[in-house]
Order: sequence, then C-alpha cells, then structure tokens
Amino acid sequence: MLTKLANAVVVDPANGVNEVVTDLFLRDGRIAPPPAEGEHVDRVYDLSGLIVMAGAIDLHTHIGGGKVNLARAMLPEIDRRDAVPATEVCGACMGGAAPSTLATGYRYAAMGYTACFEPAMLPVNARQAHMEMGDTPLVDKGAYALLGNDDFFLRLLAGGAAQAEINDYVGWTLHASQAMAIKVVNAGGISAFKFNQRKLDVDDPHPHYRVSPRQVIRSLTRAVHELGVPHPLHVHASNLGVPGNVESTLATIDAAEGRPIHLTHVQFHSYGTEGERKFSSAAQRIAEAVNRAPNVSVDVGQIIFGQTVTASADSMLQHRNARHARPHKWVVMDIECDSGCGVVPFRYRDKDFVNALQWAIGLELFLLVRDPWRVFLTTDHPNGGPFTSYPHLIKLLMDRGFRNDMLAAVHPAAAELSSLKDLQREYSLYEIAIMTRAAPARILGLHDRGHLGEGAAADVVVYEPDRDPERMFARPRYVFKDGELVVERGEVKSVSSGSIHTVKPQFDRGIERKLEDYFARYHTMSMASFKLGDDEVRECGRTSGLIVHPCRESPR
Amino acid sequence: MPSYTATCPFCGLLCDDLLVEAQAAQSGGEVLRPLRGICERSRAAFATLGASDCAVASARTAGKPTTLETALEAASAILREARRPLIGGLAVDVAGMRATLELARRLGAIVDHAASRIKYRNLHVLQEAGWITTTLAEVKNRADLLVLVGDGWHARFPRFVERVIGPQTDLLGSPLTRRIILADEAAAAAAGALPLQFERLSLHAPKSALPALFAMLGAQAAGQPVDPARFPVVAADLLAQCAEWLRAARYGVVVWAAADLDFPHAELALQALSRLLRVLNRTGRFAGLPLAGTNGDLTANAVHTWQAGVAFPASHANGQIDFDPHRYAMDEVLARREADCLLWISSLSADSAPPPCEIPTLVLGRADIELRNEPKVFVPVATPGIDCDGHLLRTDKVISLHLRRLRSGTLPSVPQVVHGLLKRLG
Repeated sequence: MLTKLANAVVVDPANGVNEVVTDLFLRDGRIAPPPAEGEHVDRVYDLSGLIVMAGAIDLHTHIGGGKVNLARAMLPEIDRRDAVPATEVCGACMGGAAPSTLATGYRYAAMGYTACFEPAMLPVNARQAHMEMGDTPLVDKGAYALLGNDDFFLRLLAGGAAQAEINDYVGWTLHASQAMAIKVVNAGGISAFKFNQRKLDVDDPHPHYRVSPRQVIRSLTRAVHELGVPHPLHVHASNLGVPGNVESTLATIDAAEGRPIHLTHVQFHSYGTEGERKFSSAAQRIAEAVNRAPNVSVDVGQIIFGQTVTASADSMLQHRNARHARPHKWVVMDIECDSGCGVVPFRYRDKDFVNALQWAIGLELFLLVRDPWRVFLTTDHPNGGPFTSYPHLIKLLMDRGFRNDMLAAVHPAAAELSSLKDLQREYSLYEIAIMTRAAPARILGLHDRGHLGEGAAADVVVYEPDRDPERMFARPRYVFKDGELVVERGEVKSVSSGSIHTVKPQFDRGIERKLEDYFARYHTMSMASFKLGDDEVRECGRTSGLIVHPCRESPR
Repeated sequence: MPSYTATCPFCGLLCDDLLVEAQAAQSGGEVLRPLRGICERSRAAFATLGASDCAVASARTAGKPTTLETALEAASAILREARRPLIGGLAVDVAGMRATLELARRLGAIVDHAASRIKYRNLHVLQEAGWITTTLAEVKNRADLLVLVGDGWHARFPRFVERVIGPQTDLLGSPLTRRIILADEAAAAAAGALPLQFERLSLHAPKSALPALFAMLGAQAAGQPVDPARFPVVAADLLAQCAEWLRAARYGVVVWAAADLDFPHAELALQALSRLLRVLNRTGRFAGLPLAGTNGDLTANAVHTWQAGVAFPASHANGQIDFDPHRYAMDEVLARREADCLLWISSLSADSAPPPCEIPTLVLGRADIELRNEPKVFVPVATPGIDCDGHLLRTDKVISLHLRRLRSGTLPSVPQVVHGLLKRLG
C-alpha cells in the first residue's frame, strides 16, 4: 500500500522543516522515499494548503492502571454526563473525568495524538496497566515504572548498597514490568505515609529507613543515567500542592547533581508563600532554574477549570488533599510494599483564589521556560484537567489576546500574584510542533516517532489552518496511524491497536537471587509470578508490536 | 509424571505456590492431582474438575451430546432471535471478559455477575464515600492489629491466615506480632484458625449490630460523646479495650468479605466502617482489606469498568452504556421478565449456576458445573489456570496473576466460544 500526501505544508521540527510544501509518501506503515517513476500509487490525498505534522505524543497521561480504574468506578454520576455512543467502528463507552480506555483511544486519535505514555505504573500492577493500555485503541503506549518507595529499594539504599546493585535492580524492574522509563513519586514519602509520617522534605530522613528523598533522587537519576535509559528519571517531586514547595522542587533539581532529570507537572510544585494568603507563584524561580540547567526538562500539568478527578500514587499528599474532594468522596491505598495511590475528585473553579493562581502559574511556566525542547504540553491528565483540553491550552499559548481576556475573567489573584499579564510571548506553530511531537520523541528516545523523515513511523496528522488554533487542533482533517487512515474530520473511521514501547537495558541477572528470596519471604506472590514476559505483555496489550528502544552505551 | 507449579483459580487469593501433577487417563484427558498448597476449597474443585473426563467433556443441545459446531449453531440461532438478551454469571478471566464485552456490544445485552449484589455492597460505599484500603503484602508485613469481621477470612479464603497473617515477618526489623479483634460472633467462632501466639479480643457482636458497632467506634475515635449503655450488645469494658487497641495500633487493618454481610442494609455497616477508617487515619494509620475476587467478580468488573468506563450491572442496548445497579441487577431483570434470553458464562465456578427462569438459557460453563435445569445449549469451557492460560485479579484489586494451562484437553476457551458465536452472528 503506497499513499501519497501531495502538496503538504510540512511542519517537522526534528528535521528543521518549517512550513515547507512537499509530497510525503507512506508505505507499509513508514514514511517512504518517493517511488520510482511510473510506480502505482494506491491513494493520493491533495493536501494543498493543509498543515502536516507527525502524530502528537503525550509523555505524561494517566490512562491505565488500578488507580485510573478506581476513579472510573467511583464516579458514575460524572461519567453519565459524557456518554460516547457507538458508531459503525467504535464501541459505546463513557468519557467523564476518568474516561474509559475506549474513549481515551478514540479521543486521543481524533485530536491527532498517536502515542501516549502512562507515567505511573506500579510494578506490582504492571500486568493490569498493560491490559488497560491494550484496550486503549489507536494509539501507541508505553509506561514508566515507579520506584523509590518500594521496600526493596529503600532497604538497598539504607543498607548502603553499591550503586551497581541499585542499577541492576532498576534494570530488572524495567524488564520485569515492561516499562519505558523510571518514575519516582514523592521520593520515600509514599512509604513514609505507611509509617504515619505526613510530610517529608527533601532532606528529611525516612522514619524507618532513615534515607532522605535527596538520596533516593540521587541514586535513581544515577541508575537511569548509567543504565543508558533514554528518558531521564521522571520525577514527581516532594510536597505536591503545598505552598512553599518551590524550595523542595529546587532541592530536587539539585539532588540530580547535574544528571538528566525530568520534573513532571511542575505547576503543582511551583508555589511560594508570599501574600496575605501565604500562597503565591514561584514560577519565575522555577523557570529560571530550568533555563539555567540544561539537564532539566519539565512538563507543566496545566490546570483547566471544571470537574476532574486526581489520581496519583502520592498517597501521602492525596490524603492531605482529600478534604478538598468534590464530590466529597475519595480513596487512598497502601500498595504491596511497592507504592500507594490516592484518588480524589476535584473541581477547579475560575473564581477561586487558589485555582485561578494555579492556572496562571502553569501558563507562566510555559511562557517563561525558553527552550520548547524542554517544556512539554500536559495537564497531567486527568489531574489538572482532561487531555481533551489540549487544543484550548494551545490557544492560550499561541494567542495572547485570548489569554489576557481569560486572565481578566478569572479571580483577580491570578493577575495580581503572577507575572502572566506581563508576558508577551506567543508560541509559534513550529514551537507547538516541537513541544507536542519532536521534543517528547527525543526525550523518550523514540527515534522513529515524532518526525516525518524517511523511515519514521507513518503517524501523520493533517490540520486545516485556522486563525483559531483551538479549532484547528481539536479536529484534524486526517490522522494516519502506521500509514492507515484512522480519523477524518475529527471522527474515527477505523480502529487499530497501537504498539507497546519499552526499553531493556543490560543488567546483571545475579540480582534475581536476592529478589527471589525477598519475594518468598515478604511478598504474597513469587518473583516468577511478578515478572511480565514478552509474549504475555503482547497478549495483555493486544498487539504484536512490542518495540524495544535501544539504550545508550553505559557511560560507566 | 509431570508436575507443575501452579496458581490456583478457585478463590480471590490466587495462591501461586501450588504443585499439581498431571496424569494421562486411559479414557482420554488428563487427571490433575494437587500435591502442595492445597486448601479445602481447591481440594473440592480439583476432586471434580481435575477428573480426566472433565478435560474432554462434550457440548449438549437439549440435553444430548453434540459437537461444538452444532452447539454454536444452536446457540447463535437463539441469540439471533433475542431482542433483549441478558449475559449473566461472568465467572471469567480477563480474556473471557474482553470477549464477553464484544458479544454484549454486538447483542445490546444487559450484563451482570452472579455475585453482583454482594459486590455492590462495597461498590456502593466506594461511590458514596470512598475507602482507605491496603493489599496483602502490606498486611503481611505491617499490620500489628487486625479487626476480623465475619468468618470469610477463614471459610471463604482458607489460606488467608497461613499466607498473610500467620507469618511473623521481619521486613521492618523484629518479627511482627499482631493483635486480633474478632468483631462478631462468626469471627469468634472461627478463631481456632488463628495462630495461638496472637493476643485476641472477641467482641461477640451479632452480625446485625455491626453498623452500630462501627458507628460507635467511629464516634469514639473522633472524640464525640458516646454512651456505651445505649449499645448493650457489647460489654462496655470490651468496647473500651477495643478502642484502646485501635488507638495503640501502628498499622491496623479491618478485614471483611462482603458476602458475609448478608443482612438488610449491609451497606450501612460498610459506610460506618468507611467513616471509622477515615477518623482513625486522622492521627494514625488504618486500612480496610475487603476480601473478594472469587469467581472472577473483580476481574470481570475491572475489565467492564476500564472498557465501558462504568461498573456493572449495565445495559449495552441501543449503542449506549447505562450503569444502574438496581435496574439491571440480574434477579430484578429476570423477575420483571425484561430479558428474553439468558447467556450464562461461568468458566471458573461449578456452583454458580443460572437461576431458574422460563426464558431460553445457554450455558458456557465449567465442565463440572452443577445445573439445576438442562439449558437449551451447554458448552463446557476451559477453566483458566486448568485447561487454558488466563489472567485474574486478586482480592486486593492491584495484583493480577498469569494462570497457566495444566493439562491438555478438548475444551474451548470462553474467547474461542464467544468468537465462534460472533462469527455466526455476523
């Protein structure tokens, strides 16, 4: 099957292409060189005047795993307002604050997203996370395995284990859970909560293991770096949502000691304590730190006004925030000497002092971090808001007038206590393409995604240029996934399953002797039961496509 | 004779340390004999399902043996005529439920699990108030106080004590000793199953007094004025000691199986329990451990919830999903005569049979299923973890395990049968 996209206006920052009119060829799921003269072309799309980009990539979206499913089960009254009726190709399902896997796949694809990464896969819950992702159609998937609160790791660190042994454990975890990267959430804090500790600053000792979050971050950034895993340690810093947490966020950057580190939903971690209500924006300080430190990347976790549900592994902070639950119900779990979770429904209100300021802080971060290759477009779906609000968020970034109109309408604190009104920057289409395609592919190590060069996966999105970027990005004219047309004018036309992305760094399997004994003594399943093999993950993930991305040569 | 390490599919604990021997029988099929890790529940299941003829059982139409092909033709003919089909039972694994949902969408069926009323006792509280819960390994390594409600922790989950609360693990330093509060009469009656070294307190509350007991303990823990005299079913000194143990716990866990709370408005007990857990977590750490997962109740519901976005019972009619725990509860639907065909799927349970009803009934069942009435069509199906591979969710809803086929035979899996039906329905 050879498809020609003729006269496309290509925006492809990974290859330095900015609105260049050209023909693209899709063959066998890949971007192909032009065919030999006279070769039959099966289908031609005339894309004159239409913008063409690679499929968008969301590097932080909670789409699968136990906590998301808890959120779904918990909120039927919210789901009910957002039913997705069946079509000829799509099954009936619910959207809502925590949409069903089917709705998630349909809606991402309909917006031109072709890959989504679940950022908080508990290794003990990896099987289920992969099953849920497997039932998420149309998009490629991958997941980050959570470490840093599990008793095995904390015991290693507390016992003064050599870095090499920690690296082996991290490598083993990536293999055993079929993950793409490593994430840490509130380093040590989720475990500390099980010991009834309610707060853990970066240099506080864990109540039992006596190691600090700083040590956890240092050890894990080093392990990820030394294993050659492309994506830096993905960090949900300490003290999420707590006024004054800018200090712990900066200390977390410091703990990486210059090694690559990705700070996720940094909006929730950029709060100061100034002003009468002891809550202020510290976005400038964070942005300056990011601008200064080339080893740091961030995604924002923008909040969007409206009803949502927050689902996080951070049981310590979710329990603390549970008093703000709307509707008033919530779940907190301690999980299997591994991690935890908290599910708290939330309504962000534009007339609320705190929420309006959070909204402004997120936008400040987008506009103040200068390098679009190091700041990513996320709402921390569903925690800050649904992923379906991305087109609206893109408009806020590209259209200063629209942004300022909204700023004038929300609680005045947003304008008074942030620098947003003074920020003139407007993102260009090229910069949007960087932050939603080229940069996430690069930072995840997806060499054949996020660009339109020959050999890349034929994940291609065609937009109709529009003065209103929200309208443009909400409803692409065409979306091609692996070379097949799956969406036309924002409607799903055919349903396929995406691939699973993983990394499998080298490590010393000798670590399994220790793990096998640990599982036998302390767990309630064997190590063999815990591990998720290649065939099994394909079955869970309902795909034959298990893509293993190469790791860098060990810098050791 | 080959033997395999196996994961047991017969209750929500999914013990993965069984050793099972398979032996070919002269009559065809293989006999399975568990050698290690056995409990009363799995012993009974292996005794019947493990027999060799179960591995090669044949389909039936109108009570007469027939080929799978003929049975599928007959079943699809009935389903094709159905205007309002009900898919019940749902004692299935992940692949079984994935396939069942495809069929439900194709038929516009109502779907519900055999134990849905029981499951809804917990779900109702999740949707009203929420929970603080924990998982088996946390209980094993951390819980220094257990409040046991009912006797499901022994009678329904026979190896719970041995595998989870019996071990005095030393993950956090010195070997863990535990205190046990036995909340009600049923719990006290099962106390013999507990290790002797654990300090115990029996409250002997009648089951029906559990809502009041939890409400009272919650109020007490919240520092509200309570008058034990108004709750004469538990002696005041016992209540005081219970409150003291709750206060002193480093990590307390309340354990119940919703199936044991079989009294009117049982959800009141769970609501009061949910509140008690919240209050206790203001200053200390406490969590609930609902025991469930048997016969695929959690598995089927989890798959339904992630694919559809809501739990069941639900209707898939008219190209829409509608979750309504009262309107679509299987017994209500049958009582109101709102279904014209019942497809019963039970690959895990032999005692989960379709309720007696007048509408045409089709059964995809465990080979040794006990049927009260002969259905129009019966297709014996592979049991995950016995006759085919499969995945099930464990009681704590976090762990899912991969169960492996232990013997060869002729039984088709639920997905194979359902896809056969879908193919014929077109």
